[in-house]
Amino acid sequence: MGSSLQRRRALAATFVAAFALTLVPTAGAESQIYWWQHNMAPGEQGFSRTTAHNHTYNELYFGPNAGWRSEVWEVTPAGYRHFDKYCVGNCFNSHPGYYYDYPYCANRDGSTHFVNDCMDRW
Amino acid sequence: MRSRKLSLVVLIVLGCGVTAAVLSQIGLGGSDKVQIGTGKVSALTRAERASDALPASVLSYPFAAHNFASPTGAGARLVKNDGSLELYAVPGQAGMVCLIEVDELAGTAGGACADRRVLLTGSIYMADRQEDGSRQVVGLVGDGHTYAEANGRRTPVENNVFVLRGVEGSQVRIGSATADQTVDLGD
Repeated sequence: MGSSLQRRRALAATFVAAFALTLVPTAGAESQIYWWQHNMAPGEQGFSRTTAHNHTYNELYFGPNAGWRSEVWEVTPAGYRHFDKYCVGNCFNSHPGYYYDYPYCANRDGSTHFVNDCMDRW
Repeated sequence: MRSRKLSLVVLIVLGCGVTAAVLSQIGLGGSDKVQIGTGKVSALTRAERASDALPASVLSYPFAAHNFASPTGAGARLVKNDGSLELYAVPGQAGMVCLIEVDELAGTAGGACADRRVLLTGSIYMADRQEDGSRQVVGLVGDGHTYAEANGRRTPVENNVFVLRGVEGSQVRIGSATADQTVDLGD
């Protein structure tokens, strides 16, 4: 009887520990900067296609002297474009995580400008 | 004699070049550099209300730390309610000014910050591609602008902002009673 109780407790503890471990990589990967200190040419696209994620945030940051056209968007592995936002200057788009996709950003000014970073969050 | 004539021709050519360059900079000859107003945004100077506070979610984004003059969003003004869409004007760092859009119903938010000088010749805008291929355009403009227009539909500027839905093509016109400007949204 006592042995059975110990086995159940051990099993429960194992489940709790396993569940906790599944949370660790998720928390650690919450935010990641893909590009930084990058001088993006006209129309050049910054992107990450390593692994698709359920993105909820996409940002382009020229710097404090922003004044040029920019764009942030996301593309699914099948090639569908979503959350496509054109801006003037520094730009962000926050949205529900509807799609597993890749984040993109670009300077759309027509001339080369320093882009400090583009980042996304999932 | 021949040398004098050559000098005169060179002077005339140079003069024409300089004149053309100056005219293009002040907005003649089809240039989009027409200036309206001084870049001032009066909506940012009105008395503060409780509803001007930016949502905490917006302040938590990296964008806020990168761009807002104050990490608390101090100085922000709610400048438009349009259905579930709310637009805020926010003082930015280093002479920038920001436009923030929040749609609580859709669970979305967006923002654009740019140097205030952009407001002399255009708008600090965001253009969101819709499922039908059209774009929803929201823009912040300086004092003096009275309207925004696309596809033959004109909407008034109120509190320095405008909202245009169902925009086809890549251009929006903004203007005053005496001048107008073309805003290129990109392809």
